[in-house]
Amino acid sequence: MPPAEIWVDGLVQSCIYMTMAFGMVLVFSILGILNWTHGQFYMLGAFVVYYAITAAGIPFPISLLISGVVVGGLGALVEKFIIERLTAPGYGMLYVTAATLALIFFFEGAAGMVFGLQDKGLAMVLPGVLNLSSFSISYQKIAVVIFTLVIMIAMYIVLNFTKVGLAIRAAAQEPDAASLYGISVGRVSVIVMGIGCALAAMAGSIMAPVYIVNPFIGRIPMIFSLLAIIIGGLGSLTGAIVGGIILGLLNSVIAYYVSYLSEFVLFLLVIVILLVRPQGLFGASIK
Amino acid sequence: MIPYLDYKTLLPRTAAGFLAALLVIFPVFTTNVITLSIFISSGIWAIAVMGFTLVLRTGQFSLGQAAFMALGGYTSAILTANLGMPFWPSFLLAGIVSGIIALIIGLVVLRVGGIYFSIITLALCEMVRLLAQQMEGITHGVRGLIPPPPPPIVLGSFEINFSTSIVPYYYFMILLVAVTSLVFWQIGRSRLGGTFSSMAANQILAEHQGIHLMKYRVIAFTVAGVFTGFAGAYYAHFLSIITPLMLGLWESIQIMMMSIVGGISSIVGGALVGSLVLYTLGIYLSRLPIYNIQYLLFGAVVVIVLLFLPKGTGLIDLWGKFWRKVFREPDEYEIPEEVEAAVE
Repeated sequence: MPPAEIWVDGLVQSCIYMTMAFGMVLVFSILGILNWTHGQFYMLGAFVVYYAITAAGIPFPISLLISGVVVGGLGALVEKFIIERLTAPGYGMLYVTAATLALIFFFEGAAGMVFGLQDKGLAMVLPGVLNLSSFSISYQKIAVVIFTLVIMIAMYIVLNFTKVGLAIRAAAQEPDAASLYGISVGRVSVIVMGIGCALAAMAGSIMAPVYIVNPFIGRIPMIFSLLAIIIGGLGSLTGAIVGGIILGLLNSVIAYYVSYLSEFVLFLLVIVILLVRPQGLFGASIK
Repeated sequence: MIPYLDYKTLLPRTAAGFLAALLVIFPVFTTNVITLSIFISSGIWAIAVMGFTLVLRTGQFSLGQAAFMALGGYTSAILTANLGMPFWPSFLLAGIVSGIIALIIGLVVLRVGGIYFSIITLALCEMVRLLAQQMEGITHGVRGLIPPPPPPIVLGSFEINFSTSIVPYYYFMILLVAVTSLVFWQIGRSRLGGTFSSMAANQILAEHQGIHLMKYRVIAFTVAGVFTGFAGAYYAHFLSIITPLMLGLWESIQIMMMSIVGGISSIVGGALVGSLVLYTLGIYLSRLPIYNIQYLLFGAVVVIVLLFLPKGTGLIDLWGKFWRKVFREPDEYEIPEEVEAAVE
């Protein structure tokens, strides 16, 4: 049995993968595409928070919201000007996949040019450690877990009890029928892309004080949230949450026993899941 | 839906022959190491890009092409550097091993389509990298292997020495690219190529015409695997190093970007143009004092090509349009808009 720190670390990772995967699945259920650039929005969110705190002196909780708004707006622009044109009828899946993959390089290059390649740290935000009898947790990690809970509850309320949420659910279920009832599916797509990217950005910014900040931090969360989605089932929001939790805990527990080969085991697991049960744990509908 | 371009509309035979001749006598004008190595590297990438485009034509978006380059490179490097085998048999074995692995993986994995195939190949790519990193005893981990240069070829009194000059590498690249282009070109012209382009045009229709999709996907994946393996082996010997971080997921994405920029409507031409343009651009941009500008421009170029060239057909189609407009050749292969709409 691994020690408690391993489980705590796994839980922190799960929170991040969960938030990222939730945004990705939300985008997938409306737009029908996988947003491969999701990890770069995570990275941009971390940079926005870094500069909001160090350059402008804005307190941490407010700069979290700022990074969500800024990067969410950027994601909405990407949807409006690139994805919408490449998902028009006559275009296949291939073109929009290629475009979002190319945007990875675009955003990493832009971040490297503007912010520089050297590692940056934010460790002075929320210093200190909570000492329990047998082990200790840093306040920052507790903040990650609480923040993720808040985000998930907020998303639950938005999706289930507001008009926008109703429109999103309707457009996800049956876009044609939804547009007959006066819902602009195009506008819903922009909103959903904005929300998804804002979630990624906030995940990145809450993690910025735990890890370092550089232009390439988005790569690993992107791949892992992709794996979380596959475990939970592509297209299912519950699946994204459960997949994120399973993946984070598995990653940290397997790594305790076989160190670097844990990623290898996880990739193998995902390939087997895709071959045997492509609908994942929650068997969501596949378009 | 991938548009299909006929080679006749791109370049007349005389011009193509002239270009090829120019490439062959190119080292007469300059033996500058940097210029020649740009050509050599973009030729190597072009081979991998051709493989990617061929797999794409069967409707599968592979993100694992760099993994086959790594497999080829590691096979050749392990055989020559660790086991002391001569260069030529291990070079051949690199392609064969990569092809066999592609065949086995393809038989299992190609039955899932669309986004799932991309994710599986992504996972395979990362698994190859992790294995190369972890099997310290064989691959020397992240420090990598150092394969020796090819041995000198003695032709009577004349000796072709790979270790003193870069020109033999250049000619070997020309040979490799020529053979690969010829094979892919012939595949494109043959009945097999017709099948591939019908699958590219409309998979469901092709399946209902009695085309066994799985069989042709496996053929395309294996052919791509063999030649990508050769490219990887040559890459390792040319740079005389191979490390796990050299050929990973991001290089796969780079292959995809070269394919898109060059144009997926033509397997050989698009690959050659795309890899030459992007690789040269990358080399010259990375000399500028602005860090990372090449990545920014790579991404921007791909998105611009996708947005503004019709259906992302890339530079080769742009050239084809220009050529047809200038010389007013009748466009026999254009399908009327309403027929295209009816097919969809």
